[in-house]
Amino acid sequence: MVRTSAGKRWALPVAVTALSVAGLAACSSGGDSGSAVPGSGGGKQDDLVAAAPVAANLPAGSTMEKIKKRGELIVGGSLDAPLLSQQNPASKKVEGLDADFGRLLAKYITGKPNVKIVNSASETREALLSNGTVDVVFQTYSITPERAKQVAFAGPYYSSGLVITTKKDKTGIATPADLKGKTVIAGANTPAIPAIKKAAPDAKIVTFGSDPECVQALKQGRGDAYVQDEAVLLATAKQDPTIKIQGKPFTSDPYGIGLKHGDAQMKQFVNDWLKQIQASGLWAKVWKNSIGTVVEGDAPQPPAIGSAPGSE
Amino acid sequence: MNVITDHLSEFGHGLLLTAELTLLSLAGALVAGTVVASMRVSPVRVLRAAGMAYVEVLQNVPLLVWLVLAVFGLPEIGLMTGLFTTSVVVISLYQGAYTAEAVRSGINAVPAGQGEAARALGLTFTQSLRLVVLPQGLRTVVQPLGNIAIMTLMNTAMAAAVGVVELTAAANRVNLAEATPIWIFVTAGLAYMALSGLFGLVTGALERKWAILR
Repeated sequence: MVRTSAGKRWALPVAVTALSVAGLAACSSGGDSGSAVPGSGGGKQDDLVAAAPVAANLPAGSTMEKIKKRGELIVGGSLDAPLLSQQNPASKKVEGLDADFGRLLAKYITGKPNVKIVNSASETREALLSNGTVDVVFQTYSITPERAKQVAFAGPYYSSGLVITTKKDKTGIATPADLKGKTVIAGANTPAIPAIKKAAPDAKIVTFGSDPECVQALKQGRGDAYVQDEAVLLATAKQDPTIKIQGKPFTSDPYGIGLKHGDAQMKQFVNDWLKQIQASGLWAKVWKNSIGTVVEGDAPQPPAIGSAPGSE
Repeated sequence: MNVITDHLSEFGHGLLLTAELTLLSLAGALVAGTVVASMRVSPVRVLRAAGMAYVEVLQNVPLLVWLVLAVFGLPEIGLMTGLFTTSVVVISLYQGAYTAEAVRSGINAVPAGQGEAARALGLTFTQSLRLVVLPQGLRTVVQPLGNIAIMTLMNTAMAAAVGVVELTAAANRVNLAEATPIWIFVTAGLAYMALSGLFGLVTGALERKWAILR
């Protein structure tokens, strides 16, 4: 019924496409200011690796020997977690606490800090370990007894906790009990969700996919508070003066190194490595290089190996 | 299987919200689609251009981008609506673009003589569209509209990314506590399959009922 000439038929879609591409480009510029992200002091990583130990001998037929033959450690991890495991857009190097530990473990096994990071998610980590896609998982992997039925946990290698953030001028929310009846923002698939349910059963939980989205939602008033891991929020709160961390962590969240379920030999091996780097002070240096860039003072005492339920 | 039975209420709430999202969005998409398709065949040049611009703009940006833009962008200009409402509106408008194209193909399938006859009888353009062309056109495209309904159902999972706890988000939350992704997501998948199977049956029945033999 409607007939337009061929030229006109194409003109509009092309114009619209050009406009929307230009618009999207405008939106994304400014997001790449990588140097503003704390913890991106790249040069120190090389010092860490240089000081890292190498295992004297690997048991024959073990998983570690296979990794050494391959020449690189395959790690399940993130590329977008500030201070923990974030890819620097300029240098393409992955930086942060988890990333550094991954490199050190790779050096311990293979003699070289060669790591291949497979981007994993909370939903896929157990499957990636059990089908052998990745050798280890370094991804703020909280040790829980439920998860320990499917994967083996070495560690804990770090202990974090959840904190409450609000807009700067908000008062009256300082402890988990204050969340009662409030709308609380949390990252999808983070341990914050069960923790909020436990602390304030009648709080309404709204989840968003990523940390920046959660912060944006908090600033726009979609919730009264935002509950997230301290390590993540420290970096965010430092960059953004309009939000404020209220009080101290209210949970203890031990991070473990995920290994294939039942591989007791490798678990023992990784635990021995952790003990070595804790004793030699390398652990504290890794902390200083990442989380220590936004937290004042000395490195905390590392958690005792096997102390978390699910890691024994 | 305990993982599923222990969390039946979470799955139930998720499924209910998915069904609500789907039905509301479908209703919205059908209205938006019919209006836009009518604009695209109207004799008024400006309306035709607006209809075409609508379809091209909506279809050529991914739904997730629209959802994130609406949820985080609109409050910046002072338009703050709930997450569920925002999701329903965005999914309606997005699926409306696809519906419009399906409806337009139905309109084009109605023989030109029908429209000419309607005009010859003295019906206005709106009357001939409403009483003669659209009823025949819509009946032709029951099957493609059924496909769009299934696509709408699947696309409601995108709302999980902007904080609506529908079936996918509910499955994610259960998995967070239980860490057994395979069983949990297989269950969610089966629930989606059951819903889309239902849509398929309804579409089939409607098509047999309304088919026009030419």
